[in-house]
Order: sequence, then C-alpha cells, then structure tokens
Amino acid sequence: MDETRDGEGSSQPVEAKTKAQGMSHQSDVLPCDQLRDQVIGNQSSHTQLMETLLHLRQTVDDCITQLTTRPPQLDLPLEEQRHNQATGEQEAFLRRVVNLLQSGAMWGLGLQAPRPTLGPRDDAGGGQQAQLSRQLDQLVHQLSHLEVAFVSHDLSNRGIDISAFERSKFQDFKTYQGDKYHEDKNTMGFINLGVSENKLCTDLMTERLSRSDMNHLEDALLQYSDQRGQPFLREEVARFLTYYCKSPARLDPENVVVLSGCCSVFSALATVLCDPGEALLTPTPFFGGLVMGSYLYSKVELMPVHLDSEITDGSARPFQLTVDKLEQALLEATLKGKKVRGLLLINPQNPLGDVYSRDSLEEYLEFAKRYNLHVIIDELYMLSVFDDSVTFHSVLSMESLPDPNRTHMIWGTSKDFGISGFRFGALYTHNKEVASAVSSFGFLNGISGITQYKLCRLLQDREWIDKVYLPTNHSRLKAAHRYITNKLKALKIPFLNRGSGLYVWMNLKEYLQPCTFEEELLLHHRFLGNKLILSPGKTYMCKEPGWFRLIFSDKPLPLKLAMHRFYEVLAEQKRDLRVKQLEDPQKE
Amino acid sequence: MFALPEKESRAPSTCPGPASTQDLDSNCGDGLERECSRKPDQKLPELYGVGDPTAGFSSNSSHLSSRGGIIKWFWDSAEAGYRTYHMDEYDEDKNPSGIINLGTSENKLCFDLLSKRLSQSDMLRVEPALLQYPDWRGHLFLREEVARFLSFYCKSPVPLQAENVVVLNGCASVFSALATVLCEVGEAFLIPAPYYGAITQHVCLYGNVRLVSVYLDSEVTGPDTRPFQLTVEKLEMALQGANSQGIKVKGLILINPQNPLGDIYSPAELQNFLEFAKRHELHVMVDEVYMLSVFEESVGYRSVLSLERLPDPQRTHVMWATSKDFGMSGLRFGTLYTENRDVATAVASLCRYHGLSGLVQHQMAQLLRDRDWINQVYLPENHARLKAAHTYVAGELRALGIPFLSRGAGFFIWADLRKYLPEGSFEEERRLWRRFLDHKVLVSFGKAFECKEPGWFRLVFSDKAHRLCLGMQRVRQVLEGKSQVAEDPPACQTQEPRDRHR
Repeated sequence: MDETRDGEGSSQPVEAKTKAQGMSHQSDVLPCDQLRDQVIGNQSSHTQLMETLLHLRQTVDDCITQLTTRPPQLDLPLEEQRHNQATGEQEAFLRRVVNLLQSGAMWGLGLQAPRPTLGPRDDAGGGQQAQLSRQLDQLVHQLSHLEVAFVSHDLSNRGIDISAFERSKFQDFKTYQGDKYHEDKNTMGFINLGVSENKLCTDLMTERLSRSDMNHLEDALLQYSDQRGQPFLREEVARFLTYYCKSPARLDPENVVVLSGCCSVFSALATVLCDPGEALLTPTPFFGGLVMGSYLYSKVELMPVHLDSEITDGSARPFQLTVDKLEQALLEATLKGKKVRGLLLINPQNPLGDVYSRDSLEEYLEFAKRYNLHVIIDELYMLSVFDDSVTFHSVLSMESLPDPNRTHMIWGTSKDFGISGFRFGALYTHNKEVASAVSSFGFLNGISGITQYKLCRLLQDREWIDKVYLPTNHSRLKAAHRYITNKLKALKIPFLNRGSGLYVWMNLKEYLQPCTFEEELLLHHRFLGNKLILSPGKTYMCKEPGWFRLIFSDKPLPLKLAMHRFYEVLAEQKRDLRVKQLEDPQKE
Repeated sequence: MFALPEKESRAPSTCPGPASTQDLDSNCGDGLERECSRKPDQKLPELYGVGDPTAGFSSNSSHLSSRGGIIKWFWDSAEAGYRTYHMDEYDEDKNPSGIINLGTSENKLCFDLLSKRLSQSDMLRVEPALLQYPDWRGHLFLREEVARFLSFYCKSPVPLQAENVVVLNGCASVFSALATVLCEVGEAFLIPAPYYGAITQHVCLYGNVRLVSVYLDSEVTGPDTRPFQLTVEKLEMALQGANSQGIKVKGLILINPQNPLGDIYSPAELQNFLEFAKRHELHVMVDEVYMLSVFEESVGYRSVLSLERLPDPQRTHVMWATSKDFGMSGLRFGTLYTENRDVATAVASLCRYHGLSGLVQHQMAQLLRDRDWINQVYLPENHARLKAAHTYVAGELRALGIPFLSRGAGFFIWADLRKYLPEGSFEEERRLWRRFLDHKVLVSFGKAFECKEPGWFRLVFSDKAHRLCLGMQRVRQVLEGKSQVAEDPPACQTQEPRDRHR
C-alpha cells in the first residue's frame, strides 16, 4: 500500500484510529463531542458559548492535572515532543478542546475579553478569569502551531475525524518538510527512515522517464477514457503481471482496473466488499497506512490477527502466520459481533519483509474459502525481493485459486519502481462484479491519460526493466541492506533478515526498561530529538513493545549519517538505563 | 408526480419509468435497505425533488456488500449509452458510419494548440522530487501557480492564497471530498435542475450524500426573467420542502457558467444566492469549470472570486479544473479554492485517494504560468472556434424551427424538442434519444439532467467541423422523420436498438 509521506512512525496512535472506526459519533462518548454539539448548536448565543468555554477551561485544567500524573501511553506528533508526557486520549482531547477554543475565537468571540454575563460554572472573579485566559493562550501556543481546528462548525463529524486524523500527520510533515536533511543545504535536518520510499534508483528512473518515447501525446490522452483505465494500459498491466507474477495462463485485461494509487484501489475495494462497520482480518504487525485507507472513506474496520515473535509449536519462525491464528481471530471477531468479510494479506509482508511460501499461501486461501471470505492480497513489493535465495510466489502464479471470485490482487509502481509520486495502483480480479463496482470509482480516483501513457511505456520496456533497472535496483537494495544489517549486528540488535522489501524489522527491546509501549514511544521521540525518523512497532499494531521498522532504501550518505544518529541515541539510552538501574535499588 | 423518486412513480412493472436509461429491468420492491431512505408523497407542487440515485436499483450479489451492489449498478447504468458508443465510435477513415458523440461535454477543437504547448521542452522535466510522495494538497509550486492564475482570471480583488488551494484529480473528486467532509451520510445539497447529472454519483459513491433538485421552469414568468431562471424564492421553497421531509440540507451547488443551460449568473444574482445560503448557514460550492469557455464577450461573466465581499467566505468553496477550459478532461486536474482551513485540510487528507502525478503537476504549473500563450494564442483561438461551432449548430436548429437556449458560454446548446413528443412524456424523450443513437448520433436527454420537463436535449457543439456536420445531419434526419416517434408502441422494456427507421 502506499504510505503517507509523513512517516507513519510518528503518526497518531493506531489504537485511537481503531477506536474511531469502531464508533459512530452517536455512541462516541468523548465529552468533547458533546461539547462540540453543544457549542455548534448554540453558535448564536454568546452567553451559552461562554458557559461552554468556561466548562472547557475546567476540563482543560483537569486534563493538565491528569497528564502530569499519568505515564504516557500512546504516540505523539512530532511537533509536540516537549509535551511527550502528555499522551493518549487526554492529549487528543486536550488538543480538541484547545481547538474548540480556537474556533470560538474564530467566530469572533475572543477569549480575552471578560464577558459581563457568565455562566453558572463561573465562580471565578474577573481577574482570575483573565489569568485563566492567559494560561489558555499559553497552552494554545505551546501545544502546537495550529493551522486548523479539530472541531469545526463547518465540517461533518466524519469530516472532523478525517481532519483530526490528518492533522497530526500534517504537522509532522510540516516539521519534517521545514527541516529536511539535504546533503549540502541542511546536513542537520531530519533524516526520514520512516516512510517507505525507494530513493536508490532515482537516477535510472529520471533517465528512463526523460526519454522521448515518454512524451507522446494524442487526443485520446487528453479526453475522458474508459473509467477502468485506458485499454492500452490495462493490456500492458495484464501482460506485465502475467510475466512477473509467473501466471500459468495469460491474464485478462478485462480483469484489470487502474486507479490513482493503491490506497485508492484498496479503499474502493473495501467499499464495494464491506458495508460500513464490517471488517477485514489482517495479520499484525502490518503497515498501518491501510487502516486509514480502509477508514477515511469506507469506514471498514481491520481486525488484527496478532502474531508472536516467539517461535512456538505451530510455527517455524518469528511472527509466522498460521491458519490456527486466523481461525482464532475470526472466532474472536465473530464473538465480538463483528461481521468479517475478508482477509487482507501483504506479500512480501510490510514491515516484516516475510514472503509467504506457496503452501502457506494456499492454506490461507483455503481458510478464506471455508468461511466465504474475500482475500485482498497486496503484492506491492513483489519486485523488491533482492535476495536471490528468496522465492516470491505471487497469488497469480497459482495453478488454481481455491476461490477465484473472492481473490483480489493489488499491485502498483510506487515501491517496486520507486515512483510513489506517480499515483498508480492496479487491481486484478476474476470477479467481474467486483471489477465493475470498483470501476465506478474511475472518475473519482482516475489517472491522467498522460501518466497512463508513461506507465504503459515503462511497463512495456522489459529489456530495460530486466537488464538495467531490476538488477541495479536489487544490487543497490542488497548493498544498503547489508550496510544496515552489519551495523545492527555490530550493535547486537536482533532483526529479521528477510531479503525483501525496503525495510528492516528490528527489536530494540533491550533498550526499553520496562519493556512497555510508553518506553517505546519515548525511545521513538529520542530518535526524533536526534533528527531521525523511524517507525515504532505500535504503529503496526504489533502487540509486543520494542520493535521498530527502519527504511534502508536511501542513498549511502544519509544512511550513514542516520546510523550515526541511531547509534548516538542508543548509547545515550543505554547510559540512562544504567543510571536508572543504579537509582532504582537506592530508592528501595 | 415528478418530485418523487422514480421507483415510486413507476407503474407496477409493465413499462419502464422515466429513468429507463438506467434501469435494466428492475424488480422493484425488493427489501434492499438503503441509507438514503425515501419519504412518502407530500403532495407538493413540483418545486423540488429529493434525489434517490439508487431508486432503479435492484440486485443481490453474493460477492459485493450492499453498497457495493449499488455502486456496481451505477457503473452498469451509466455505461448503457456510452458503451454502445464505444463499441461503434465514429472514425473518419476506419468507421465512417460509427456513432458521432454530441453527448459528452468535451472540447475537441484545440488539441492542435494543446499538443504543441504540452510538447515544449519546459513540460518534460523529470526530477526526483516529482517522483516521490508529494504534499497531499498538491505540490507547492502548483498551488502557488493556481492561486496566481485564479487571482488573474477570476479578477479577484485581492491576491488569492496558495494555502487555500487544494489540488485533486478532477472536479469529480472535489465534489466527492467536499460531500464527505461537509455532510453526514444521508444529508443533502440543493442544486438547481437541470444540472450536470454526474454530480449525483460524485457525491453519492463515497459520501452517500443526496441532491435536492430545485426545479426550474422553461416558462418565462415576468418581463425581466429568462427561461429556467433560478430565483431565491425557488431556493427557499426547495429548502423548505426538503426540511419538511426531514432532510438535512447542508449546502448549495451552483454551476456557473451553468451546465446544461449555458446560462451565467449575474453578480447581483450570485450575491443573492450567496446571501440566501448565508441566511440558512449553507455551504455554497461554486463549480466554475467553464469560466474561460465564455465565448461571447458581451455576456460579462463574473467569477464568485471576483466579488468584493463574499457574504460567508468560510462557507464558500470554489472549484475549477482544466478539463473544460483547456479541453483536457483526461488529464484529471481539478482544484478547490476555499478560505476555510478546516475544509481545506479535511479535503487534503482525502487527497491520498485523489492524487495527481508529480510530472503532471509540473506540466499544469507550466501551462497555467504561460499567460502569453493563454492570452494571445489559446483563448482567442479557442473562443473563435467555439463561436464558429456554436453559430453552425444554432443555425441548423433554427432551420429546423427548434427553440434552444444558449448564452454564449459552455460547449452545448439546450434544445427544446418538446414538439417531437406528442404526449410529452419522459418515455417518449427516451425513445427519441434512442432513435438518435440508432441513427448514430449520441446526445443527452433532459432526464439525465433531472430536468422536470420532458423534451429537452443537450447537444455538444465543441467538436471538429466534419464530425459536427455529420452529427447534425443525423439529428436532422431523425427529427424530419419525426412522425414515426409518436406511432411507436410503448416499449415494454429497454431493448436492443431497433433499426427500422434507418
């Protein structure tokens, strides 16, 4: 799946996402929602608004008290590092409250001016009120440089959710964008090893895309096209997948739908397969951006199938997915009253880098068939398997699919060709109904004809792909991977050595004491403090604290600097842990 | 009564309802639950209509969710005429007897100019930043260019801000995103009808938002009025009507220049509509996708962004795209301009689904920046060609004695073919449309625009002369053989084309 560019590593907590998905606003019990309703309903009345504001102030104070007395629990946006003890629901709530106050100010109901009419809650004198106002202002100032309000009288509830979701990421991104590492201009800037982008072959891609064959123009490219995508592109995608997925039979262009990015494909697919509130099973840890993909528009939930790092009876390797686990997760979901419509698999897996064996794949598909579940299989990294000893099996390579009408494959060029900015994703499905339904989104998630033409030329050029691009890409990935893993080995940091994808999944448990998600988050912020963006395991719904994903597909120079910063942080962390150990017994 | 959703107004099952373009035989009355539930007949005059885009839908699929079934039905029904066209597209050399498309609103007159401009070397830059994840709102260089462009062409009294611009892949996406972030499921927007019918689908697919039609009359009622004139009174009535049915209306959609009427709103009218919206705390989405396609200078078009003072700037959202004005519907470039940061941010977060390639963003910035070419080459030539094509089609219609509307904006003429429908029913309208198609010319009928009077058709004239002439020739043939229209027995269901009139 396409990932957000702003680093899922520092995104909003997955838990909060899941919760938001699960609840409609009617049942959402967050007090701020009620307050919002209250405020929105009474926009015209200054008196009542002031009452609400005063109530909010009270709540803010309560929150501050709670925040200072409670340990952090959840993730935080980058910008609020200095408040990294302020976490979780309270923190989110607090932000909402502050925003609410801001939107109050936006209506021209300034907070500063004392109002003659005060609500019953106001037992404070004018002076105290002014002081409170100042505190609030400070708070507003400290909390963030807010551009937008979470709570808006203009947005629908879902609009507010969407906005809220984006906002923290947006702020992260702004911070990162404003202080991005550049090898000449800003060597002290943030190095982003949190976003899964392949930057190793931009030279090759730039050269290929600059060749004259890319610039062809004809009237059909500027006009409305078939909503499923231009026929020439769908034909090329079918040929391409037939070849690279090693399909036993030639794939049919009629089964291909192309949209603006894999997020769009997934979102459209989730929408046509599930009704709001229905769910898809997915093994975790997994790439969290999909949660958003399934949530923002479609309101489809994801039910995690938690995997263990421990090797147990049923499994041969860490985080192995087994049918038993699928069965169990399905049962649990059903007991919770969740209607599960499908299973989402990512292969090669993100963030584990695992590749499913043919037999495993078959088992998962059989499991899905037993329960009439759709299988959405995301093979976005299929050509990024750089270790020759690893064999990737595409679902399209299978002789016969257990349930072809419920098997839907997604692929795009973002990762394998390092062109996430192209916004291209493709669906391959044998199910004509599903293909037609997804095609309805062709307008809303369409791709420019010019882009479609370039993509077609790119996918067509097997010679270049096989002889130039893939070998170079793989050897550069291999070298970068080797560099990183050697560093990790030297630091005695355990990691999964998988040979596919753009990332390494590593275990920093040893640097957490106690081993909790709070500590994981603190460590994450320590990295951020040292201008290094990584993604903590919590973002992937990993159930064990201490895991991080590191993207290694960057140029040698930033990579080297990143590892230096990484080392610094860990050394510092270790020192602190030793001090802590010394102090602890003394306390007792 | 026409204000009703089709399913209820349809007779038990003998003949297709007015929307029979879209209904592929429906077993109505199945118990499918929809989020857009329909309300019973309120016995009101035909002032408004609450759209239920899924009225003709019935299906059960073992593989799709219930909304998935509806979404698929959209695909199936929308394709009906279009598919016929695509299977038999006219080509001067390869398929001279193929179908001429006067139905899709595209400007095909200036491809030569565009292709030349888009092939210049400044367009072809490739650099790594364009290949990587962009800012979801669109690359800053493009948003800045859009702000400058709109400031200039919309004659904004103050420079517009790049921060207020969000770039998406087409205006369809802007509608979809706005509907989602402004409305809850089942809420509605007001829209004067007839209107560009695809908006129904844009706001419904993801957003599940409905449209309430504000029906306009072809009759002229006073000295200063014109056919299909929108008035505040009509807006008020429709809003009241919708409210009385328990429908929560969150906004008003205005298309200016209007599609399919080709009408434009005067600044005073615009101001009135915006004031109306402000009174009721409605958002206003102004679709100005034809703003540079006003080819009669005397018309005096004014963008909403040119107004000195917007009544409610936080609730006014403007959309524009290159699809029409630059004849590039396939490029998928659209943009939202809103001073409301909440709305901009919320829409931007949906841009992960509505993104545009970095390379195309670069091209668009280059295009919009090139004022010399736009002002001295493209616009004058485009307007001259539009005018010529318009003059030709208008002349043809006059020769046939067909009344029509067209005020010198847009790509189409709204033609009154009511005299060819003896009974004045939508079924006849559809049959006439079918006859056009059988005679290898694709046009659009009024029902597709939610026009409440049967018999209006939209003819797109922005096509090359040879195709246009042939298209009009076929239109004439059908209309001159008009007597047969009335004699046709009522069709019992939608069928394959009948060829006996050829």
